[in-house]
Amino acid sequence: MALLTVRNLTKRFAGLAANSDISLSIPEGCLFAVIGPNGAGKTTFFNMVSGFLAPTAGTIEFAGEDITHLRQDKIAAKGLVRTFQLVQLFKGMTVAENVEVGCHLATRGGVGAALCRMAWFRRQEADVHARARELLAFVGLAGQAELDAELLPYGQQRLLEVARALAAQPRLLLLDEPAAGLNAHETDALAAVIQELNRRGTTVLLIEHDMALVTRIAQRIAVLDFGCKITEGTPDEIKRHPDVIAAYLGTEEAAHAQHG
Amino acid sequence: MPSTVELVQSLVNGVGTGLVYGLIAIGFCVIYNASGIVNFAQGVFVMLGGMFTHAMLTRLGWPLAVSAFVSIVVVAAVGVAVQIAVIRPMWKRGAPLFAIILATLAVQLLIEQIVILTMGDQPRTYPDFSPGGPLKLGDIAISYQLFWILGCGALMVLLLVLFFNHTRAGRALRACSQNREAAALLGIPVNAMLMLSFALSAALGAAAGILITPTQYTAYSVDGPFGINGFIAAIIGGFGSAPAALVGGVLLGVVQSGAIVVVGAGYKNVVALTVLLIVLLFFPHGLFGGLGKRV
Repeated sequence: MALLTVRNLTKRFAGLAANSDISLSIPEGCLFAVIGPNGAGKTTFFNMVSGFLAPTAGTIEFAGEDITHLRQDKIAAKGLVRTFQLVQLFKGMTVAENVEVGCHLATRGGVGAALCRMAWFRRQEADVHARARELLAFVGLAGQAELDAELLPYGQQRLLEVARALAAQPRLLLLDEPAAGLNAHETDALAAVIQELNRRGTTVLLIEHDMALVTRIAQRIAVLDFGCKITEGTPDEIKRHPDVIAAYLGTEEAAHAQHG
Repeated sequence: MPSTVELVQSLVNGVGTGLVYGLIAIGFCVIYNASGIVNFAQGVFVMLGGMFTHAMLTRLGWPLAVSAFVSIVVVAAVGVAVQIAVIRPMWKRGAPLFAIILATLAVQLLIEQIVILTMGDQPRTYPDFSPGGPLKLGDIAISYQLFWILGCGALMVLLLVLFFNHTRAGRALRACSQNREAAALLGIPVNAMLMLSFALSAALGAAAGILITPTQYTAYSVDGPFGINGFIAAIIGGFGSAPAALVGGVLLGVVQSGAIVVVGAGYKNVVALTVLLIVLLFFPHGLFGGLGKRV
């Protein structure tokens, strides 16, 4: 059964179509990737699915429910959680606290609870604490829990962002170019984490620029170019697809021309 | 030149008023950090805290503790009402921050007028929380109320620190102050957090007003001076953490009260504003650097 179904999604900025008529469907449990050259409209697509941008036309359905015009926090509460292309950690908080904030959805109660139901509340705080440690161990940051989040090297900040998103217990995790700016070693660590969380049951929608990473870990791939979906298929099908090769070679030639 | 006794006495008095400024300053910081709004209606909460408590004490004959508690709750509700009626609609329509800040100024004047019409314009006060005093240490007199201010102030800051660091709502509020988008995308209802910040800072303002009234008086017009002094304290503290705001408040209170003794009461605000300018000139991000962290 499809967990996320996107129909005819379109976004125009001042008449310019950043996304036109994109339709796709992500089955539950899948590790799905959307790829495309820079400026293909991947992030626009992502921003619409996560409720950050309102689509000009089209619908988004999550677990059988229309979420097209839902507020971001409501979408997250339904189990669709994203990360950002540029790491957006909570500065001034420790690594563990960042993950604890992510547990917000999985916990209940506010100030009243803190004051009145002390025993129950303490237990919950202890649970949040334990859960944060567990997630940090999962992404390999157990040793850095008490550090200031902004002091982590970039690759680890990304892993932290993934752990924070997981704390919200997503059914569908949206990762926006998670490998951007990472070295080969860091990319491998991240790929292992993504594959493992998918194996444990989280559906993943990955937006990536790095073809090698995507064809290695994704089960199904959709390709965007100039705001349109040009094809969709398994990694092997995508690697051989003439339009995909053209789109990627095309941009590389263009990039060479620009830099040269 | 004033004598040493006079100077020490003014220092003691300054710590008391300064702590109250500090509590008001924390109220400014809570809203500013959650939203970027400087809430100029902050002084109104201080005034209402004192006025409501006085009304409940004298007209309804309720005991002090009950009157104080009820007025804190009612003023917190006023804070939420301001957020719902004024801030949220403007926020939703994409009003610039500048316009929202002006609106809080209008709210201050509006509530002042309502208070004059419904409760009158006469200043009023009520006795210290504990009878007796002052405590005499040689020639220095320390009123019992000062201990109440110290104790309640310390307790509130402690509770705030616990709240911000160890509760779900406190963490969510800090998350909103760091990055509203990322917070929303983790399922934190940003608007509800903004409402909470207004409730919290109104409650803090009311508590400050209730604590300070016995040492001075309260009237519809005290919101202006308290608001401005709380704002100055917040800037000195750098709009950062609760303890920083408290230190800013105490610093301001002590300097002001010293100025009254040394150069005369008329210069109180001249000195306060000079301190503000000096801090801003040499520490443009506040004494604790909190203003620099925000872009």
